[in-house]
Amino acid sequence: MKRIILVGKPNSGKSLLFNQLTGLRQKVANFPGVTVELKSGRFDQYQLVDFPGAYSMSTLTRDEDIAVEKINQALLDQDTSLIICNLDATRLQSSLMFGMQMQALAHQYGKALVFALNMIDEVTRFGHQIDVAGLSRDLGAPVFALSAKTLDGIAEFKTAVIQLAAEADSSNLNTVALPPLDYSVQVKQSRLLATQYGMPSSVVLKKQNAIDAFMLNNVSGGIAFLLVMFLLFQSIFTFATPLMDAVENAIGVSASFITDLTGPGMLADFLNDALFGGLGSFLVFVPQIMVLTLIIGVLEDSGYLARAALICHRPLSYFGLSGRSFIPYLSAHACAIPAILAARTIESPRKRLITMLTVPLMSCSARLPVYALLVAVLIPDTRYLGGIVNLQGVAFFGLYLFGIVTALLVSLLLSRSAVTDNEKSDMPFILELPSYRFPHWKPLIHRVLSSAKQFIYRAGPVIFAVSLGIWLLGYFPTSAGGLEDSYLGVIGQWIEPIFEPLGLDWRYGVAILMSFLAREVFVGALGTLFGIDGADENIAGLAANIQADGLTFGAGMGILLFYVVALQCVATVATLKAETGSARLVGALVFGYGMLAYLLAMLCAQFL
Amino acid sequence: MMSLWDTAGGQTVTVTTLDAGLDQAVSSRLREMGLDNGLPVLCLRRGPFNGALVVAIADCVYSLEQKVASKIRVKPL
Ligand SMILES: Nc1nc2c(ncn2[C@@H]2O[C@H](COP(=O)(O)OP(=O)(O)OP(=O)(O)O)[C@@H](O)[C@H]2O)c(=O)[nH]1
Ligand SMILES: [Mg+2]
Repeated sequence: MKRIILVGKPNSGKSLLFNQLTGLRQKVANFPGVTVELKSGRFDQYQLVDFPGAYSMSTLTRDEDIAVEKINQALLDQDTSLIICNLDATRLQSSLMFGMQMQALAHQYGKALVFALNMIDEVTRFGHQIDVAGLSRDLGAPVFALSAKTLDGIAEFKTAVIQLAAEADSSNLNTVALPPLDYSVQVKQSRLLATQYGMPSSVVLKKQNAIDAFMLNNVSGGIAFLLVMFLLFQSIFTFATPLMDAVENAIGVSASFITDLTGPGMLADFLNDALFGGLGSFLVFVPQIMVLTLIIGVLEDSGYLARAALICHRPLSYFGLSGRSFIPYLSAHACAIPAILAARTIESPRKRLITMLTVPLMSCSARLPVYALLVAVLIPDTRYLGGIVNLQGVAFFGLYLFGIVTALLVSLLLSRSAVTDNEKSDMPFILELPSYRFPHWKPLIHRVLSSAKQFIYRAGPVIFAVSLGIWLLGYFPTSAGGLEDSYLGVIGQWIEPIFEPLGLDWRYGVAILMSFLAREVFVGALGTLFGIDGADENIAGLAANIQADGLTFGAGMGILLFYVVALQCVATVATLKAETGSARLVGALVFGYGMLAYLLAMLCAQFL
Repeated sequence: MMSLWDTAGGQTVTVTTLDAGLDQAVSSRLREMGLDNGLPVLCLRRGPFNGALVVAIADCVYSLEQKVASKIRVKPL
């Protein structure tokens, strides 16, 4: 298939434009370096490829390397019909700095190029007008003013792109190579054009600087930062609780409704224990995932993340990290895999490596169900200050913090060790601070919904299968609820010695081992086990059942810390291997985190 | 001679040269950003405890750490 590529300065709206042209939903957010790998989709009869942003053809970070390397490949490729070079109309100078380098290369390789003058809605809002015809004449290439957000000019642009691509395909332009343009002339030229056609920078930067006067102030900025972080973690707990209760009730009602229909017997036992007890106890946590995604999404699209990275740069440097490590660390609280890829924007290879190796210590959403369940079991629901501070919420925050602090300590250790000695190629910390924007609500809502869908699709089938397997092994041959005498009970005796030092019996052992398939399985597996064990047919609250069963505080805390530290996720391990290129290093990491997790759990069980 | 790192918050200065010690890729990036001979830079604020500097260059705001800001020679307007 013939190809059209979409390139440009970081954070200039490429991915949003890509989404509008292809109907796909690639991640869009308000900080430079959101897209870190090539993404393609279909536009008309072409394959449209969204690139990571780059400030220049001479690169400083890994995501820029990828962009430029792939641009060079595309230039040589016969199948590349057209290059769309995206410009941020409010920041013409920095956009053209890359744009004109791109244009010169396209020229040199005989490729057709069109400029998309994106974010024109903002230019209009500032009361400015850009002479598009003049700009196009001076650039010597077609320019289309448009807004990927309000869709102004998109229809015309689509028609034009199809036409330009078809023209390029049928002409022999693609074979004529021209001599390269002089670099310093280009730099001067882009400055001249920006002054002539662009908006005055004082207008563009006015609002953002006013907000920064508060957000980056030594006192108010620090307080704002801590407040945002505290609210982030606290709200996962507080906002989601009513929703979770609703889901739990709904599951309880449907469980009793359905088992009433079937009457008592093996089918009812199965539905109660495996389906509602196993899968149901996991669905309860979907609202938390959604709240977490919503808050991270708002932060990412507001423009605050770059500020947070700046504020953290100095303290993180002390631990051998960069301010840019903040962004992968934050997004790792949803999932480690995109976070490991996001580390590509980190300027120094050594800091990037350390960031990737410590990202798995951030508590991803798969740990949420485990945390929520055990916190409900171990910590009383006490409220202080008229209900604003909830002890369970604080415990939650504590677990997240424990992961972060461990990550910092491991980073410190790694940065002082020889594993990551790579000082020479270190690039300095240079980060653009984008304009503040109100989060774009439509993609945000979509993102929240798809996070729930993904959470269910990813772990749901595994949990169902495990619940089913556990139920079959645990229900037979006795079927009367004698879990100890079941097949599973017999298997359980073998593994019990591993978990004995942690103060746990074999049922927890089974749940922990099974959660190497997916961490959420822990909850589903325990749900099924306690379902079979329960004399009554009451599935109300797995937490209450565990409490009644007498899990000690120390052993429970041990499980929690184990889940904070252990690297149990196969997909994360695979991603780490691909990004670091070293199976040995990653193997050592899995082993190291595993030992540390076990040790911490043992210490908790013995001393708490 | 004064470097960008020595500027006070709110001060506008003019870039004179970039230190030769800078990596080639970094200095060409800085030039493209607008840290080029004779062009103005506005220092918006300094971070506490030697944290990164925030500067407005052309149409963008960047933060730069000491390691690089101290290698950009400037003179007051
Ligand atoms: N007002 C306005 N905002 C836009 C427009 N296009 C994109 N944005 C916003 O600009 C920000 C960056 O958009 P992205 O599409 O992620 O930018 P990108 O060029 O793909 O960025 P990288 O992947 O980091 O290189 C987001 O907050 C978008 O919502 C537009 O036409 N108008
Ligand atoms: Mg993008």
